[in-house]
Amino acid sequence: MRWLAVFFTVGFCFALSVAALAADPGPVESLKGFSDFQQVDLTRLSSGDVLSERGSLMDFPNGISSQTCFFVPLSAEETTKRLQSWDPSPHGELKVFGFHALHTPCELADFQGLDLKTSQKPVRWLLDKIIASTPARSDLNLTHAEAQELAGCVQKRSDPQKVSGCMAALLLGRASAFQQKGLDGSEPYDVAGESVSPALQLRTMLREQLEIAHEFSPILKKTGLLVSETTPSLTPFYYWTLFDADYHGTITLGAIYQLAVGDHFQLVDMEYYVSGNYYTSVTLFEVWPVQVGKKSGALVWRGDFFAAPMLAFTKGTERIAYGALMLQDIKKEIHCFQDEAKARR
Amino acid sequence: MKPGLITALALLLSSASVRGANSMSISEELDAEYAYVGGTGTRGGGVNVGSVDEHSADLKYVVSPQLNKDLLLRVGFEWQRFSFGVPDHAPLPSALQQASLVLGFDYQLADEWLMRVEVQPGVYSDFRDITFRDVDAPLVIGGVYLASPDLQWMLGLRVDARTQYPVLPAAGVRWKFSEEWTLDFMLPKPRLEYDVNDKLQLYLGAEIQAGTFAVGQNFGTPRGQPHLDNAIVDYLEVHVGSGCSWKIAPTVTIEAEAGLMPYRSFDFFAPDIVFRSHNAPYGQIACHARF
Repeated sequence: MRWLAVFFTVGFCFALSVAALAADPGPVESLKGFSDFQQVDLTRLSSGDVLSERGSLMDFPNGISSQTCFFVPLSAEETTKRLQSWDPSPHGELKVFGFHALHTPCELADFQGLDLKTSQKPVRWLLDKIIASTPARSDLNLTHAEAQELAGCVQKRSDPQKVSGCMAALLLGRASAFQQKGLDGSEPYDVAGESVSPALQLRTMLREQLEIAHEFSPILKKTGLLVSETTPSLTPFYYWTLFDADYHGTITLGAIYQLAVGDHFQLVDMEYYVSGNYYTSVTLFEVWPVQVGKKSGALVWRGDFFAAPMLAFTKGTERIAYGALMLQDIKKEIHCFQDEAKARR
Repeated sequence: MKPGLITALALLLSSASVRGANSMSISEELDAEYAYVGGTGTRGGGVNVGSVDEHSADLKYVVSPQLNKDLLLRVGFEWQRFSFGVPDHAPLPSALQQASLVLGFDYQLADEWLMRVEVQPGVYSDFRDITFRDVDAPLVIGGVYLASPDLQWMLGLRVDARTQYPVLPAAGVRWKFSEEWTLDFMLPKPRLEYDVNDKLQLYLGAEIQAGTFAVGQNFGTPRGQPHLDNAIVDYLEVHVGSGCSWKIAPTVTIEAEAGLMPYRSFDFFAPDIVFRSHNAPYGQIACHARF
């Protein structure tokens, strides 16, 4: 019987070592396992190429997605750190007017930088939409209660600086609720008589991408994105930003989470409130340390999921074109991030 | 249908069946137009036809199943009719009609390049006596380069073996140069557009309507022009005008426009007789739906 015991022990150890090898297949093999990229040339990526793919069609009519993959000449840890708090506003081509961190707990002073008194046309568009909002009708993503509160506030104070104050109060309410309750604290918008929940839309989009959701399950579970979880167990970087989305000023509230998973990192950047033009978006990142010849750096996979009302009516070739143009914007952003990483090494 | 196109389609469809793991999406396009052009003097080949007015209508329906992430099939039909108020025995057809299938595909060639290949096999005729000579299959190949969300370039080619100019190239651009203004210089309807709001758009523009048709075997003889029997006519009509476009629903747009038809020609190119009209007012309404 002893030889049998030895046989099983050796066999078990062999199985464990095979399992251990299978569990750590390396960044490129991992990436092939869950992404749309089946050919990954690290040498080309390290010279600045960005791999990109439009996402496949979703059953969710308002959703669209894309995947990109790129190299950053910094350690995986440093890349992750920079991705978590990257400020795109210095890059004029990205049309970001402001990017600001929020304290925990957030306070009204965090929104002092919100200034709607400007000659920028997209910001003036946003100002006009805020002033025109009534409890019965608004082009912005608001609850009835928010629309009522905003209309009451704006009625009393119609100059841009004071309207900025009204909007800041609304954003503070949204950000505070999110900091306390996570995604479940993010109230659905009332849009043309329908309730639109950004939390539900984010979950719906991710549930359609089973392989990606499985890959990111460690961080998604801890952020409450995969399943409803009252208290997320990771502390994110909270921010608000104001930018130009197709000539329309748009304010978003977001949170960026990061988690170390073995030797690599995962990040989730979710927009839990968007003032208008679209409903919500989430960006997932996976960052691995890699060595390409003598260059060491980080291999980054990025997945973008985006929900917008007009996508439900954008079909056929128009939708393909929309996806292609979305990818162009994402690649522009990636190139800015890479340039900054090279310059500040 | 061109054999080359069948091969291309077959290749693309076979690759689609291998890669098409996504749920299928089907989109539909419905375009309907009606126009009236007022009477204007028409002459050619030493004949003064007199005042000719015109009613035209066009109905096009295309269904596009998406076979995979990059490929959409296009299948549908188009019916177009030009009716001319011509005096009896005038050497001009009282109607020119197209009744055709629409077969083709849209394909994303590269990140920034989209292409369309469309062939319209059908009958292009005065519908007096239909023979094989009335059957045609013009082919359109187009490519769009998506330079940015605000700028797109178009290159195209129209191939029709039966016409006087069998291969016609075209180029265009769509440039949104401000929030409200877009130069949509794409044939056959180049326009300068102004967005009043999300639903209402005003525009200045032009339209080129063209087609190649066969007339009947005995078209010319009773009109004293026997060389026009069984002839092929290249028809061309140019509109210049202004109009408005109103999005009545997210998927439905209606348009109304009016202006001048500065030029119209019936070119019987084989006997080399061209009838021309100039400067007549026109009005047009249209409905475009995308589902």
